[in-house]
Amino acid sequence: MRRIAFWFTALSVIAIVAVSCTKPDGAGTNGKKKLTIAVIPKGTTHEFWKSIHAGANKAATELSAQGNQVEVIWKGPLREDDREQQIQVVEGFTTQGVSGIVLAPLDDRALARPVDDAKRAGVPTVIIDSGLVSDSFVSFVATDNRKGGMLAADRLGQLLNGKGKVLLLRYAEGSASTNEREEGFLSQMKAKFPDIELISTDQYAGATRDTAKRASENLLNRFGDQVQGIFTPNESSTAGMLLALQDIGKAGKVFFVGFDSSQTFIDAMKSNQLNGIVVQNPFNMGYLGVKTMVDHLMGQTVQKQTDTGVTLVTGDNLNSPEIQTLLHPPLDQYLK
Amino acid sequence: MVAEVKENRIVASSAWIQSWLNRLGPVLGLVLVIVIFSFLMETPGRFLSPNNLRVVLAQTVIVAIGAIGMTMIIISGGIDLSVGSTIALTGVITALGINHGWSPTSALIAGILVGGFVGVVNGLAITRLKVVPFIATLGMLGVARGTAKWVANQQTVNMPDNWLNELLVMFPNPPWLLVAPGVWITIVLAVAAAIVLRNTVFGRRVFALGSNEAAARACGIATDRLKIWIYGIAGLLFGLAGVMQMSRLRQGDPTVAAGSELDIIAAVVIGGGSLNGGVGSILGSMIGALIMAFLRNGCQQVGWPNYIQEIIIGAIIVIAVAVDRWRSSRVVA
Repeated sequence: MRRIAFWFTALSVIAIVAVSCTKPDGAGTNGKKKLTIAVIPKGTTHEFWKSIHAGANKAATELSAQGNQVEVIWKGPLREDDREQQIQVVEGFTTQGVSGIVLAPLDDRALARPVDDAKRAGVPTVIIDSGLVSDSFVSFVATDNRKGGMLAADRLGQLLNGKGKVLLLRYAEGSASTNEREEGFLSQMKAKFPDIELISTDQYAGATRDTAKRASENLLNRFGDQVQGIFTPNESSTAGMLLALQDIGKAGKVFFVGFDSSQTFIDAMKSNQLNGIVVQNPFNMGYLGVKTMVDHLMGQTVQKQTDTGVTLVTGDNLNSPEIQTLLHPPLDQYLK
Repeated sequence: MVAEVKENRIVASSAWIQSWLNRLGPVLGLVLVIVIFSFLMETPGRFLSPNNLRVVLAQTVIVAIGAIGMTMIIISGGIDLSVGSTIALTGVITALGINHGWSPTSALIAGILVGGFVGVVNGLAITRLKVVPFIATLGMLGVARGTAKWVANQQTVNMPDNWLNELLVMFPNPPWLLVAPGVWITIVLAVAAAIVLRNTVFGRRVFALGSNEAAARACGIATDRLKIWIYGIAGLLFGLAGVMQMSRLRQGDPTVAAGSELDIIAAVVIGGGSLNGGVGSILGSMIGALIMAFLRNGCQQVGWPNYIQEIIIGAIIVIAVAVDRWRSSRVVA
């Protein structure tokens, strides 16, 4: 008997906490249909996802001001980067009956079934950031990674005046987005700068900054005396290569173009150790993801694929206002 | 406390009622969770809709199958921390098997058997090497996870479409099944395990082992061999849970289910299982698994952030163990 009392008290405490946590909202929906859009990132702690969140909130604010009540529900997988947990989130929103889902799938196959199920249950999905092997989604809103690689190739080619020896340190096997950047880089190099020799294009940096540094050291050991230009296709590979170049005193002596942004990279660009970074626009990705979904829900035809933009940042344009908002999106304004 | 003493308590009529109330505790918990969330929800109809119940049941399957095995282990006084890794390993093995051109059925059996093998190795480490279960299975947690990444070549293993993928779908085919086939499999296994634990010599011995190992050995039970059996059978179930996980992801993922051993242990503990051994029930563990699944689902639908969910589940685990401690101290007194 006392055991039941125990359970009862315990759950009552939780209930009270629960009730006091719930915000008394739901008011203010006079007449107009309210659209709830669930936005599901891959994780919630990284800066990249915070920018997407801010962008999504901006879209909701703007669209609500235009008269469509739009509410964004932001929810990542309970354990970050866990596919099973992300599937559960998608399923939960499906049965909850949200108006639409904006999803950054952790895997291009594992998330296909939940998205198919959502469609069958009448909930449309817009895919952002990474692709999904499925035809059940409304639109794919993401960075044109190929174009990002091509921008990097243009920058290196110009710095080298169209001739010299360049190496590419790839990111990791099986990563679709970085693979596209690498292919974009290589094809642009071959097409536009035929006199540039690609001395190594088959090495992988691996998942972390640490593995990237080791791979960079090995590469520089072999090609360090002849290499004149370097491209790395993501944050960790760029960071690892930068560290390796600094260690052997070669930073600033070769042309180096990276991908993604971080404070370290910006400092390195100021001291000319890094000659450019290609950055994505996650804020715009969150914004366009929600906007595309609302357009679809309002019965407009939407494009099957939307580019959210890639930009080359160099020491020269670093301080321009556009680049500054790109590097530091107005998170505080849209994330309470 | 000798096993006989506990059995006498159950025979006595007042103890009979007590045992039923004990069993009712988790049920009451589950009902409370559902009722509370229905009140919190703007649209309780959605929360209690057949579609949502289907989803929650399908989401419970992996933890529930794991909890069946874990209940046996915990009743016997042991613990298994390697479940999450075993799930990843067996899922990868099954996916690889299908890629090698095996029929889905043989791949399914292979996955289950690999789980059983991992369990037997755990049992051998515990009995032959005399390593306590916590440490032996902590070691296996690393070994199985590493092996999964190794055989999968550090990538997810994608495979062609096959009927295993249909085990945990939201809309079952044929529709008259009402819930995913995996849910039915889980129910059948749970009933079978409950009968085995309650009505067979093997089941009695598992309880005896967990209540007092020395006494069980003195009564002529070959405790070492029994332990290897328990970990082996539980391993088979973990292997099946791995196949279910693969079915949900439609791929073998060597990084999946990290930390799910804690969910599974929590399900058993919330359901009344005692980490001191000798106490626990399959029904309770199934309800424990359901409580956690409903909590997750409910928190999401009410719109709470993840951290509140984690705090609530964490608090419930501590409360459940507090109940366990409080109860076992009363039994000793």
